Amino acid sequence: MPPLDSFSTQSEPAPAAGMTRRSFLRTSAVLTTGLAALATSLRPLLELDDYTSVERFMQKYYKEMTPDDMARVLKRIENEVQKQYGIRPHVRDLRPMDGVQFVYALNLTRCIGCRKCVHACVAENNQSRNPEIQYIRVLRMPHGSLDIEKAVHDYAPESVPEKGHFYMPVQCQQCKNPPCVKVCPVHATWQETDGITVIDYDWCIGCRYCEAACPYWARHFNFTQPSIPKDRLNPEMAYLGNRPRRQGVMEKCHFCIQRTRAGRYPACVEVCPAGARKFGNVLDPTSEVAYILRTKRVFIQLKEELGTSPRFFYYFDV
Amino acid sequence: MADQPPNARNGKRPKTALVLWGLSVAFAALATVFGLNLWGYSNPLYPIALVDRAFLSTDTNRRSYADLVRAKEDLSDFDCYACHDKGKPPTLRFDDHQNLIIPREHSDIVMGHGEHGRNNNCFNCHNENNLELLQTRDGRVLKFQDSPQLCGSCHGPTYEDWEVGAHGRISGYWDRKLGPFKRQDCVNCHDPHSPTFQGRKPAPGPHPLHVLPPKAPPAASD
Repeated sequence: MPPLDSFSTQSEPAPAAGMTRRSFLRTSAVLTTGLAALATSLRPLLELDDYTSVERFMQKYYKEMTPDDMARVLKRIENEVQKQYGIRPHVRDLRPMDGVQFVYALNLTRCIGCRKCVHACVAENNQSRNPEIQYIRVLRMPHGSLDIEKAVHDYAPESVPEKGHFYMPVQCQQCKNPPCVKVCPVHATWQETDGITVIDYDWCIGCRYCEAACPYWARHFNFTQPSIPKDRLNPEMAYLGNRPRRQGVMEKCHFCIQRTRAGRYPACVEVCPAGARKFGNVLDPTSEVAYILRTKRVFIQLKEELGTSPRFFYYFDV
Repeated sequence: MADQPPNARNGKRPKTALVLWGLSVAFAALATVFGLNLWGYSNPLYPIALVDRAFLSTDTNRRSYADLVRAKEDLSDFDCYACHDKGKPPTLRFDDHQNLIIPREHSDIVMGHGEHGRNNNCFNCHNENNLELLQTRDGRVLKFQDSPQLCGSCHGPTYEDWEVGAHGRISGYWDRKLGPFKRQDCVNCHDPHSPTFQGRKPAPGPHPLHVLPPKAPPAASD
């Protein structure tokens, strides 16, 4: 800062007894301005509390946490959510169940393209409303082709289904061979034993490599602080699931971990008015997904040729 | 380096001043940026209306007779013998094209079961001797609550799928050990008189991140 320099570069040394009136005024004026500028420029540090806390900074990797560590972390998350939204959530760390492999089946004959699943998912999983983050994208395609180049996702007719079209909702395919996991430089995303690829939002550095690697546009990045109206927050949360994310982290469909690992159906299955969405444990031969894979014309895993081996199957009746 | 004075202090002075000046300019610039809140989005995001809660509802299209019984609601619509006579099967009238003429009292019924239009005999499904019961073609008599079996007597493969949970809506717990699940009846989604799914308004589609400014009208060209 120039005023500091003026002490040393003055051609005449200041009188030993003190300073002249002029130099005092000049020095103090410039010093005040300088300090004010410095203080203002450091102002964002005051808001740092919203971005990180010592606890979060010192938090261990998910797989290395002891049950005690996890209990502390869940408490911290509950406090943070309560501070931000005024609602005390119920955050759990649900682990995969033994003998369970989740599989999703979607009936393209039945889907009517109403997008109820999209919004039920947003409501269940506390996704940002503005800017919008949606895990499900419903593609409308002309009959007789499966050319995604011809797909439209912002159709808005008065009434669906439209003649001559069919609808194909696309979301995270929970690949058995997930390219997004391979590219993550910090192991913030991995595949669990029940087949769900999860993200530790506290470990993600936001490099978006996974978004680039995913061939299904399934991963979404929080470019801004997500905005969720308080009265629409779902307080039933899971650590690897729908707890509120912060700016700069990735998120994606996790088969509603907070529901499915507690034995319930995902929100998109519950809301589908056409019964086109089916979910269950493929290792249980009596489950509907096992039945579908056995008996139905399961025609694709989307982009099968990439070798990602999705756990998400599209099928037709008949 | 030989031409540098032995005491480098004098030589460094202008450099120090330069650094200090640079720093003060930088801090002043930062202060302006933060002070005027120029950081972040110069264009605020445009508002997106919250989705209508009706789109989040998990209710079925229709309410079945079983639902009405469970909710202890008004069942007078199903009291057939308030108007009809017991022991006297109503007669059906058809027009010249063998289409059923629906009496005025039942004008809320749209007959459209099957695209051929030939499944138009009320007593294919209703029991003519007791209108408050249903009957299958193989002679079973069923209550209104047991209608899926009636549907299944013709739609066998679909009924099989439904029993497993592969056709139709299912909700609750996929893990039957942890909690109950609910399988919706055929008539919760399909109108038995006209079972084809009706169209509906789709929920709003995805919004773009930013609205592009409207394009300037093309300059008048010759």
